[in-house]
Amino acid sequence: MRDSCQRVAAVARLSVLELYRRKDLFAALLLAAVILVPLSAFNLFGVEGMSRYLCEVSLLLIWIFSIAVGLAVAGRQFPVEFESRTIYPLLSKPVRRGELLLGKYLGALTASASALLVFYLCHLLLMLAKGGPWNGLVLAQGVLLHLEFMMILTAVGLAGSLWLTPSANLTVGALTAAGMLLFGEKLAAFAQTGPMPGAALAALVHLLVPHFEFFDIRLQIVHSWEPVAAGVVLLVTAYAVAYTAFVLGIASWLLGRKKL
Amino acid sequence: MEPAISLQGVRKTYPDGREAVRGVSLEVAPGEVFGFLGPNGAGKTSTIKMMLGFFPPTAGRVSILGGDPCEPATRRRLGYMPETAWYYGYLTVRELLRFYGDLCNLSRDVSRRRSEELIRLVSLEDAAARGTPLKNFSKGMLQRAGIAQALLHDPELLILDEPLTGLDPLARIQLRDIIRMLKEQGKTVFFSSHELSEAELVCDRVAILKDGAVAWCGPVKDMAGDGGGNLERIFLKMIGGGTAPREAAHA
Repeated sequence: MRDSCQRVAAVARLSVLELYRRKDLFAALLLAAVILVPLSAFNLFGVEGMSRYLCEVSLLLIWIFSIAVGLAVAGRQFPVEFESRTIYPLLSKPVRRGELLLGKYLGALTASASALLVFYLCHLLLMLAKGGPWNGLVLAQGVLLHLEFMMILTAVGLAGSLWLTPSANLTVGALTAAGMLLFGEKLAAFAQTGPMPGAALAALVHLLVPHFEFFDIRLQIVHSWEPVAAGVVLLVTAYAVAYTAFVLGIASWLLGRKKL
Repeated sequence: MEPAISLQGVRKTYPDGREAVRGVSLEVAPGEVFGFLGPNGAGKTSTIKMMLGFFPPTAGRVSILGGDPCEPATRRRLGYMPETAWYYGYLTVRELLRFYGDLCNLSRDVSRRRSEELIRLVSLEDAAARGTPLKNFSKGMLQRAGIAQALLHDPELLILDEPLTGLDPLARIQLRDIIRMLKEQGKTVFFSSHELSEAELVCDRVAILKDGAVAWCGPVKDMAGDGGGNLERIFLKMIGGGTAPREAAHA
């Protein structure tokens, strides 16, 4: 077990180091500056409600950037190994494919989660400077649920990279994430009340695709609503863990079948 | 004594129907230096990939050091250097060896000591001292880094896929010396190559592969008596390449 952990940690560390050395993480810092600089220069003229608008725009940017960063980071982990043929010396070592997959996943998740925390730090600074809506507990819940969203997104990006081309993987991942965030609830409603056979198809899609909409509590943050009930957060966390395990299982199967 | 490598009737048919390996059977004894020769597309790399457990054979049996190459415990005892690998361009050679050391579960001290020994052995001290990233290495330097990573965990069996590609004459002599040193230490070395003259210089035995099957296998010292001539002539005869160019010129 200890040996296995050492190998997983080595792969994860390498993934993070690669992103740092290739200056990919600087791109995330640049995105953070996009959140902080223009929005902090925005003059509110004392108009009431404008700070909520700023908060909403800032959170929207964080979600868009996190999807881009998460998919880009996860999606390049395996293609790079295959293109440079480093997969061969790697798999000739006493490392199991499952350990390799887990190491890559943890490395990609660490990098994406770090970028996300930087984004939220910028958001926090912006809200403090502009006197925006502030509820520490709701914001903490928002960050936690967003991290759980990244758990699933990273697994989806990793699994997709073992099946699709990098561009197709990015497109499918981004469309799924955006689609579910925008229309997830409507899809469920259509599956229940829509005409057949569309409703049956919607029900099938609703069953299979990740429910990213569960993790989005931007409205609660912007309008300083009451925190989400702890039981609901726990349930959503359990869903994130289960769905991530499911997707990583598929990724493991795909990696086992990957032509070397 | 149990063979270091045992291939029994190994076949590999890819999903597209291409039969890359057609019933290869051979055994390599411990401490032997074995050359695996053949033209491009003969099935050398497919055979090596099955020996490393990258994929199972369609039929037949592969045994490495008495074990299944798919098992990490077996791979812990073998070292492999691929034909072309660009490794991780953003790492230095020391960082690369440390990474592979972690994958082999070497302790930090052992990993560091072995890395320094191997960096000296493959003459990469200058690049290591300067902290040159691998992306700035020449092909020959990358090959030498590849040899170092293959030897890092002191394996009993070394599998080298076209190790001479991209090496200058000095580095070739150095690699030859390393192979001889490993033989003296009782290690088994299996390498594929197009370089017949090099195989003649370092191998105890060679196998010539043609169209996925072993066309000839035997000790290097027996070559002169087997149809006459050197390894090059036997190679050309076996793969159906006709006479050697020099003979053709004399004709």
